[in-house]
Amino acid sequence: MLVAKNLSKSFKEVNALNNISLAVQEGELYGLLGPNGAGKTTTISILSSLLKPDSGEILYQGKSLYQNLTESKKMIGVVPQEIALYEDLTALENLKFWGTLYGIKGKELQSKTEELLDFMGLSDRKNHKIKTYSGGMKRRINIAAALLHDPKIVFMDEPTVGIDPQSRNLIFEVIQELHSRGLTMIYTTHYMEEAERLCDRIGIIDEGKIIAEGRLEELKKSSKINEEIRVRFTNVQKTDLSNINNHFNGQLLIHENQMVLSTSQANTDLPILIQMCTNANLHLENLQVKSLSLESIFLELTGKSLRD
Amino acid sequence: MFTIAFKGIRQYFKDRTAVLLSLLLPIVLITLFALMYGGIGKKEKSRPISLLFTDQDNTELSKEVFKTLNDQDGMQLFSKSYGEASDLIKKGKNTAVLVLYKGFQDSVEAGNKAPMELFYDEAKEIEMGLLQQALWSNLFGITMKKGIKGKVNTWIKEKNPDLSDAELLDIQAQVEEQFTDFDNSDDSKEMEKKSNLPMTAIVSEEKNGNLGLVQAIAGTAIMMLLFSVSGSGASLLKEKEDGTFRRLLVSPISPSSILYGKMLSTLFMAVLQLTVMFLYSWLALGLDIFINLPALLLMILSAAIACTSFGIFMATICKSRKQVESLSTLIILVISALGGSMMPLVFMPEIMHKLAVVSVNYWAIEGFFDIFWRQLPLSEIYPKMLVLMGIGIVLTSISVISFKRNLLKLV
Ligand SMILES: Nc1ncnc2c1ncn2[C@@H]1O[C@H](COP(=O)(O)OP(=O)(O)OP(=O)(O)O)[C@@H](O)[C@H]1O
Ligand SMILES: [Mg+2]
Repeated sequence: MLVAKNLSKSFKEVNALNNISLAVQEGELYGLLGPNGAGKTTTISILSSLLKPDSGEILYQGKSLYQNLTESKKMIGVVPQEIALYEDLTALENLKFWGTLYGIKGKELQSKTEELLDFMGLSDRKNHKIKTYSGGMKRRINIAAALLHDPKIVFMDEPTVGIDPQSRNLIFEVIQELHSRGLTMIYTTHYMEEAERLCDRIGIIDEGKIIAEGRLEELKKSSKINEEIRVRFTNVQKTDLSNINNHFNGQLLIHENQMVLSTSQANTDLPILIQMCTNANLHLENLQVKSLSLESIFLELTGKSLRD
Repeated sequence: MFTIAFKGIRQYFKDRTAVLLSLLLPIVLITLFALMYGGIGKKEKSRPISLLFTDQDNTELSKEVFKTLNDQDGMQLFSKSYGEASDLIKKGKNTAVLVLYKGFQDSVEAGNKAPMELFYDEAKEIEMGLLQQALWSNLFGITMKKGIKGKVNTWIKEKNPDLSDAELLDIQAQVEEQFTDFDNSDDSKEMEKKSNLPMTAIVSEEKNGNLGLVQAIAGTAIMMLLFSVSGSGASLLKEKEDGTFRRLLVSPISPSSILYGKMLSTLFMAVLQLTVMFLYSWLALGLDIFINLPALLLMILSAAIACTSFGIFMATICKSRKQVESLSTLIILVISALGGSMMPLVFMPEIMHKLAVVSVNYWAIEGFFDIFWRQLPLSEIYPKMLVLMGIGIVLTSISVISFKRNLLKLV
């Protein structure tokens, strides 16, 4: 469906993309996982013709994106990271406007907008202005606006940022439904859980490079580590934690009063960790040992946390 | 392109405050300015200038001077002692006092220089200017005539010592009649004909509407229009800030049609705003908009085109809405002042007239003057329309180029 080869893009000083290649199959839900500033949005902008890459090529169904740009654009749907709707127009007016831009008219436009509003569960609010919507509702209309013209491939750029868990689940359901209908999608996120839960295949992107790619199981298999230990304390003393981290070769992730240690040998590491924490006068509140998550894979690959 | 234009217009009408601001505010301002320039109620004269009057002579002639001046339209005299008068002036309550010294009548009749003096507040330049004019034309008229009458009488007596008293009186009466005739002609036009400085109004007040009214409407309407188009142009940058611009760009429409669509909706609003302004001026302020309707419509269109292109131009050269707002406010104020939107150009020094040609306001206001004031035929007004459209074309072309160049920055 989509093949991108050796894409590079720099903005003045920032080298946003560095020789990225990816291929997405028909009907596949591909996750692009990476921290802030990794280059996710830039990748999507380039793939959707918003930005021209400095080098590299993009093929949709074997044809260059720029060969017939107008036709290519009709194949593509984009859900921007920021909500891109007219706040002072109603949901219906917004959808109709965006539909018209794709040449959809009259009855077809009418039925398409109704269908999507229904799909998003917002039919009863269709005549309200977007500015009266909650964050989650805006997000849903933001997605609907990209689906009006029945695109062949849809890019979703962090469609769940800044919304409550319930709305997020609604959006997951929408995406899973679209996936089951066979829509090809590229989904970016910096949430591990989302990528794990939704995506068929995941590319991990950092500093403009794809550093790992594959199915979740493949990624896990290729990783040396297979477990993570989560410890929560009632008190935190920052100064003392660095030597613990050093002991575990920097595989310790510290976030507020929580510690995550990714390891391949939980049985030996666990007692040591607890011992060291006790020595450091940290009071244990909660302890968990889990099998591997994407987050720990990411940590292993990049040496940094996904969030911040 | 039309889709985008319609969407823009729909958004405009959804925003009630914007609609009200763009239509009501200019209406209020036009009314205010019309009142200021004395445009409303043509028959009603502007507030009279008040002049204090100290009569130390207390003779027939000094009283006549008081009466003549007080009878002048737009002038009101108040008798005060010199002390009181100078107090009032010092307090800023009055502008000037005219003092007729003792021996005023005697000196005048003897044909000598009249002993009188005007004391005034130098700070009140404008009032003094008006006052001086009124005084020149009247005061010196009276004193000169009296002086000449006295001299004529003396001369007749001297040359004809043998004339009987009755004959002398008869001659005097005849002389008096001549002058009285002169005096009684209160038709100002008659006066002008007889005075040695002939004055002819080429464009007369009676011919049509009202200079002040046209100035108020045209000046205000154009300035307000510039403000609202720059607001509308700024909505292009709002698209960028809201991220809808990205969505527009990934859709199959061409980037330029985004710009043209925006221009079209702005143009529509500009024409609407000007039309409402003139309709209001017709209904509420009595401007005869049917005097040359085709010219007016074309003028509205050209002014709208010029202003629209200004708004779009500002939007494409600026980086953010804040920047558009502050920069265009500055530019609008400058070109409005230059172009005569705030103050009629006639009040301004010569150099300003030359500078004014760089201003959109100038061409539009002059165009409206051509229609309503000078009442020129379309064939003589169209160059101004061409200038306005030319401004439109030039600014639009620059906008298109800079829009295309900055497209990437908009993403
Ligand atoms: N228009 C631009 N001009 C300059 N630099 C840019 C521009 N867009 C992106 N960048 C830079 O390119 C890098 C990648 O940015 P990008 O927006 O693609 O990251 P991201 O993965 O989408 O991050 P986030 O999770 O915060 O959305 C960043 O360092 C960013 O500062
Ligand atoms: Mg992003």
